[in-house]
Amino acid sequence: MRALVIDDSRTMRRIVAGTLDKLGFETAEAEHGQAALDLLEGGLDVDLACIDWNMPVMDGLTFVTSVRANPAWRDITLMMVTTESEQSQIVRALAAGAHEYLIKPFTPDAIRDKLDLLGLAVEGQPA
Amino acid sequence: MNAPVTTVLDASVVHDQVSAVAQEVFAAMVDGDAGLLLPWEGELPVLAEPVVAWVDLHGDWAGRLALRTGAPTANALARALLGLPDEAEVSHADLVDACGEVANVVGGNFKSLLPGPGTLGLPQVGDVLPQTPGALRLQELPLAWRGQLLAVEVWSFGAQDAPRAAVATHDGPAIPDQHGGGDHA
Repeated sequence: MRALVIDDSRTMRRIVAGTLDKLGFETAEAEHGQAALDLLEGGLDVDLACIDWNMPVMDGLTFVTSVRANPAWRDITLMMVTTESEQSQIVRALAAGAHEYLIKPFTPDAIRDKLDLLGLAVEGQPA
Repeated sequence: MNAPVTTVLDASVVHDQVSAVAQEVFAAMVDGDAGLLLPWEGELPVLAEPVVAWVDLHGDWAGRLALRTGAPTANALARALLGLPDEAEVSHADLVDACGEVANVVGGNFKSLLPGPGTLGLPQVGDVLPQTPGALRLQELPLAWRGQLLAVEVWSFGAQDAPRAAVATHDGPAIPDQHGGGDHA
């Protein structure tokens, strides 16, 4: 499994990527939505994208909308990982095409539980 | 014409909310289940080499949430977030990023407690808060993280909070501020 972690905070990218690494994912990182789109357009193949909402250049919601507009990327599972916890924001993200929504702060167990829900648990990794 | 929507915050409620949010964030992100963020007890020290991380909130209630601590504590916080050993060097970029992200998460969770829609600005970090005309410090919550002072401040940019902010100022502890004090926001 491969994952793309998109967050303007390198600290948060390291935390999310570190958790995914322990769960058996190969990870790549991008500091905003446009950089993530550039990676995908450059041929990066991922199963999962973990996406912050508030980022410079391109925010997470715009990234989700852009990914969903491209049929070539329809198999990518999109999970928002953000401090935006208003119900209206969650509804907007899901309506735009996000599959799951994880609110910061989160624990490694919370990420694992979301991946289980999404059917993305990697076999042989600690539950 | 509709009157502008405003939200008035009660300082005592803000105190409890901010305390709960900060403790939850530190337990989840920094310290694990055993949260190490506790109420500050005793005399408040003067912060040498202050580091301030803040995020602005926009919406029915407009204001700012800031974390204020000393450079050694900010470095320790960055090391904890990044999973680095105690003796590891922390780059300035990592220090800024880590402290900004903590402010971002605390601010985002505080925003979720406010009635009405709102947006969160991008986090910023410096050694002093920038001035904002008319800003009032609504709450100042001194906490101890691993025994060192880490204060959480809530600033209001709206005049509607003025009477309650005055109550908070009188009841709450005052944290020594080496950079111009309460008229900064």
